[in-house]
Amino acid sequence: MKKIVYLSSIVLVAVFGFTTIQTQDNCDKKTITTNLKKKLEPFKYDSQKFTKINFTKKAQELEVEVPVFIGEKYRVVFNTSGLPKPININIYTKDKESKKREAVYTVKDLKPGGETEFVFDAPRLRKMFIDYSVPADSTASPTQKLSGCVAFMVGYK
Amino acid sequence: MLLNKKTLVRKGAMLFASSMLFISCGSETPKEEEVVVVDTVAVEESEEVSYNLPSPLQIASIFKKSGLKYKDGITSTQKDITKYTTKLSKAINLGVYSADLSYTVLNKQSQEAMNYMKLCRQLADNLGIGSVFDQGNLSARFEKNLSNEDSLAYIIAELQMVTDMYLDENEQQEITSIVFAGAWVESMYVGSKAYEKAKDKELNNKLSEQMTILKSIVNALKADVKRDAAISTLVADMEAIQAVYAELASVKAFNAEDENAEINLSDEEVAQLTKKIEEIRNKFING
Repeated sequence: MKKIVYLSSIVLVAVFGFTTIQTQDNCDKKTITTNLKKKLEPFKYDSQKFTKINFTKKAQELEVEVPVFIGEKYRVVFNTSGLPKPININIYTKDKESKKREAVYTVKDLKPGGETEFVFDAPRLRKMFIDYSVPADSTASPTQKLSGCVAFMVGYK
Repeated sequence: MLLNKKTLVRKGAMLFASSMLFISCGSETPKEEEVVVVDTVAVEESEEVSYNLPSPLQIASIFKKSGLKYKDGITSTQKDITKYTTKLSKAINLGVYSADLSYTVLNKQSQEAMNYMKLCRQLADNLGIGSVFDQGNLSARFEKNLSNEDSLAYIIAELQMVTDMYLDENEQQEITSIVFAGAWVESMYVGSKAYEKAKDKELNNKLSEQMTILKSIVNALKADVKRDAAISTLVADMEAIQAVYAELASVKAFNAEDENAEINLSDEEVAQLTKKIEEIRNKFING
């Protein structure tokens, strides 16, 4: 019995010692939504999307497809205040599988503590593909990862 | 005194366990860094491709701008919501009523708009999301502004925003896709029925333009099947509409590479598409 107790406590300590994963998340959705809405005026609210970003040892390309319609005017507002590290944002008119595509809007080289709200008034488009380029995080480990969120809001008139 | 083997192993194991404890304590976040939330659950990776669908109000607005006039009796006359017993049928018909609400608001049909607002509220309550109508006094403001189309449209947009927030915070994003699918089918039904009478070229263009987002709707629903397996039946319904459209001669002849090209469906083709949309729409509203 004593042996079982000893062995169990050793296993438990080893398990907790190795497998606790710690993350930091600054995603205040309510505040971010309020701030996005302010930047959207005078466009009417249509939709919004929060994307959770996990920084890992590998770089990532995340894409959001946003159908739009000819004849409507659109504004897209981004908020990156929920991110612990900067990412790049590009808007394309074709998806990431397309061979030739050019960005119609780019946000890059952001500095920590700098600007976090960005406004894009779209030209005449049929589709938008919003791409988030998440850089690799060399400090990421199985027990410690940074995470946060990026959000955008779409308005039309 | 020599230590026996048992004691040696035991003491060695205790030393090992203690050192593991010290190491894990040592990897805690330093006090000077700000920790907002410490999450000890495995981190979920975001989907590589996701979809952001438009609102029912935008679709109704697009059809209105194309010249779609109000036609009495064309919207859902199904007022008995007790027929909708599953989460899927409730969410689909919340979409149907949302589209009808937008259509009646934009065409200044205030009493009908009030009826659809009440039906939306009832279905939202049945889905467990009815509290969104109480945020910012939206229901009360809607009733107070019944004679003002612009104010009502603004209130519907605000309702959409609080609903999107609520569903996102409560990990129910699949309801957004289902609701939009229901709303889109209803809007297409109203638009195509109006075309039967008017044969308006602008309306014809809008019907084919709306078909370009059907693939996005199907893909968004497919991504949500893992949240709710019942969505697969809705996927099948939407793909059935997609299949009819893909077989139309004008669609087969269309050059998707030409960004300025538009599809002009013949009256016969619109009739074929309308027939399928009507079939799926009736399936939705009959529960």
